[in-house]
Amino acid sequence: MKITNSRYSVLILLVGLFINTNSIAQENDVSNYRMLFNFNTTKQHDNSRLLEVSFIARNKKDRKDKIPVYDAEIKFFNILNEDEVLLGASKTSQEGIARITLPENQQYLTDDDGYINFKAYFEGSDAMDEEEDEISVKNLFLELNLEEIDSVKTVTVEAFVLDSLGVKTAVEEADIIISVGGMLSNMNIEEGTIEAGEFEYEFPIGIPGDVNGDLTVNAIIEDHDEFGNVIQKKSVNWGVFDREFVEESNKLWSEVAPIWMYVVLTILLVGVWSNYIYTIRNLFKIKKEGKKLDLETEN
Amino acid sequence: MDLNIRKRELVKEFSPMMVRSSVTLKLWIGLLVAIIALGLVAFVIQVLNGHEATGMRDNVVWGIYIINFIFFVCLSYSGAFIAGILHFFNTPWKNSVLRIVEIITVLSIIVGPIFILLCIGRLDRLHYLFIYPRIQSPITWDIIAIMTDLIGCFIYLYLTFIPDFAILRDNSEDIPNWRKKLYKWLAIGYKDTPSQREKLHKITRTMSAMIIAMAIIAYSVLAWIFSLTVQPGWNSSIFAPYFIVAGLYSGVGVIIIAMFLIRKYLKLDHYIRKIHFVGAGVILLVISLLFGYFTFSEYFSRWFSHKVHDINLLNTLFNRYFWLFIIANYVGVLVPIAILFFKKFRTINSITFAAVIAVLGLWLNRYLIVVPTLETPYLPIQDTRPEFIQYSATWIEWSLSFAGIAAFILFFILIMRLVPIIPMSGIIDIEREQQRKTRIFSKKRK
Repeated sequence: MKITNSRYSVLILLVGLFINTNSIAQENDVSNYRMLFNFNTTKQHDNSRLLEVSFIARNKKDRKDKIPVYDAEIKFFNILNEDEVLLGASKTSQEGIARITLPENQQYLTDDDGYINFKAYFEGSDAMDEEEDEISVKNLFLELNLEEIDSVKTVTVEAFVLDSLGVKTAVEEADIIISVGGMLSNMNIEEGTIEAGEFEYEFPIGIPGDVNGDLTVNAIIEDHDEFGNVIQKKSVNWGVFDREFVEESNKLWSEVAPIWMYVVLTILLVGVWSNYIYTIRNLFKIKKEGKKLDLETEN
Repeated sequence: MDLNIRKRELVKEFSPMMVRSSVTLKLWIGLLVAIIALGLVAFVIQVLNGHEATGMRDNVVWGIYIINFIFFVCLSYSGAFIAGILHFFNTPWKNSVLRIVEIITVLSIIVGPIFILLCIGRLDRLHYLFIYPRIQSPITWDIIAIMTDLIGCFIYLYLTFIPDFAILRDNSEDIPNWRKKLYKWLAIGYKDTPSQREKLHKITRTMSAMIIAMAIIAYSVLAWIFSLTVQPGWNSSIFAPYFIVAGLYSGVGVIIIAMFLIRKYLKLDHYIRKIHFVGAGVILLVISLLFGYFTFSEYFSRWFSHKVHDINLLNTLFNRYFWLFIIANYVGVLVPIAILFFKKFRTINSITFAAVIAVLGLWLNRYLIVVPTLETPYLPIQDTRPEFIQYSATWIEWSLSFAGIAAFILFFILIMRLVPIIPMSGIIDIEREQQRKTRIFSKKRK
């Protein structure tokens, strides 16, 4: 009985291993996917504004199965009550991203509270329903100053909005991140809060810069309820440059091999070949002894 | 019994196997020669037309020739390793299998390197390898290792043959003159005196220890040819031990198959017994578990690392080569384990079947190491013709591959015509030892 059970176990195991998970047909029907249509805006360091939509289809059962919606035309509007001003349109990339950049001097319709209302709209297709998303932000201005005050490298950020008359109103409170630019991504060096429109931070010593010691300092407000994303940045010669990066050359591309390689190879070969010679020498001794025995027998 | 009389009896027992030729044997030899002849035709075509006659192109520069090379060379190294272990530790049942292992060792190291020559596009520049060797290149290490190993294996094989040549020289009757002369020349005056016996035993034992070490080094060098590159699928720190385990896996498999065929066709049931198969089967089981473990580790770490090129390689393996992957790494490992794990299944036939599956699985495993990696290069493939992107072997390559296998079998048969496959000297040694023990025992009783 035990053996029968074991046999069945092995059989089941083997059959299980033969099942090709890749061969099961994927259910790519749109109805199995939920559309994720996310719209956000970022005010960039040159005061231009980026409007961006991420359009992704996510499997209802397998949340890891995400397919970007490609080539979908997204229209971006500035809306106020019944008015809709088309700001531009863009098609989604292979990553499912559609974006447009509005220049610094772009005129917006704003409501009584100073909010700019944006709408992103996808009008749908035969297979997909229409999608839209709206966001409202105030036009925030960030002024980033990098100065040495009493020999202390100081980062000062001023945050304000302008009313219709151009009068500055300081931001009461907002979280801010100070980061420095790196080769692959930004490195956060401080997270703080703007209070009464100002934030001050003592820049640390010893942050690596480029060859000339220059580095880029970023002041970033992220996902703020009133202002969305706002980025300001400036370059300054506050970085350090310790040493020049010396590229290691491949040692084995040299004409001559490293000494240790010759030594190891020689030891190995001498060891092996000495044994061969020793063996052959003994074979000759055996032969000699045989000849001697033959002669003795003949005599 | 007088050992000299026993020697004569043994020669009488084994002589028919070496001298008589049955119709079946002649047919087999004819078939093998025909396969080799076809291989020679394929070789001429390849030389005249270049590598265009093969499936190898700019990207997939290595095909089944290199797989056969690895397979045979690893077979030889594993043979050397096993023979060394059997001899050095004086394993009780070594006598029945030792010569089979030794012959496999030497023939594989002769046949294997021929395949690497077939991979070379410009054979006329072969001598450059020796004129301008780069000591820092694993290819140079491999050439040195193979040549050293070949000579070492030849010497070792010859050492184990000497006592049998001497027995055949002194006791053969009714054999052609050339055979007598050949045995006399090869026996180098060995008379089985205690002094000669001691010398021969000493150097054979030293050589057996040396070929174990040499096999490990040579195995590693062969693995480094692949693993010291940065190619996905090859650049692995466990490749050297993986190759050693894989080589032993195929080695034990081929030994079991050879034992089965020799036992069946030479009717040596009383020399090659079930116990030998069970012993070899258990060793195959242990190695199959190790091989499975290494294979899993190898692919698991590649999958887990999520490096782009490794993932591309795994995608190739799990799509285009899905069934080959299953046969090589699941069937080729799990079926032998399933058969050999249960005592009840350990019959001669089932153990041999497990060995055949293991050998075929391992050959395919080699194929999956070489070809899919070359089909997923770092740089985009320049020429997008299907035959440049994907490799498939041509009839030229298959003919030469089968010619190599045929040459291996043919040489095996020819060596068995020269000396008995069961070492007579080994049987004499065992009986001499028994007589010595009996003498000591009777003295003690008195």
